[in-house]
Amino acid sequence: MNMKTFIADARKKLKMTQEELAEKVDVTRQTIIALEQGRYNPSLQLAYNITRALKAKHIEDLFEF
Amino acid sequence: MIGKPEWFQRRKYSGWGLSPKTWQGYAYIAVLIAILFGLQLLPVAGNTKVIIMIVFAAIIALDTIDIMMRLKKDEREIVHEAIAERNVAWFIIIVIAVGIAYQSSQSAVLGKNVVDPFLIIAILGGMIVKVASNIYLDRKR
Repeated sequence: MNMKTFIADARKKLKMTQEELAEKVDVTRQTIIALEQGRYNPSLQLAYNITRALKAKHIEDLFEF
Repeated sequence: MIGKPEWFQRRKYSGWGLSPKTWQGYAYIAVLIAILFGLQLLPVAGNTKVIIMIVFAAIIALDTIDIMMRLKKDEREIVHEAIAERNVAWFIIIVIAVGIAYQSSQSAVLGKNVVDPFLIIAILGGMIVKVASNIYLDRKR
């Protein structure tokens, strides 16, 4: 079962491109695309990194099971 | 060592190893080919040339391994690579097992052993690698 994510919304609010987010959290753009489309469940570490990069308060703000 | 990981990408759709990603990667391969041809033209005795070629091949092999180990992969790519390589391993195991079964049946029919020892070594070696990998992973993680 994959997560529902709100990464794309949060990223667009910050006017950040997928490439920029990918670079910030040290993954490929393909991984960001897969995450945004809910096709990949990230590790806890990556989820935390994305939460920080997108300036969200809690991990649950971006990821939902 | 010589090549840089950012010049290459992991070969995904055409076998194993590396393929060039940037012009530097293509240049690296072009230089290697040029050196290879240059070595052929060296005015030295046959044996010396063979030794030089072996040393050159070893350096390239080591550099390739070094680049592959330093190649940046994110967690999703690591999982994808692991699944793809596992599938490859299963296919090879099935082919080897069928080969051993076929050769064993031939041995029974002909009354002499015709089982290729390399097939047995491949299976046994694979088992040892699996055990070693699991022991290492259990201790590490």
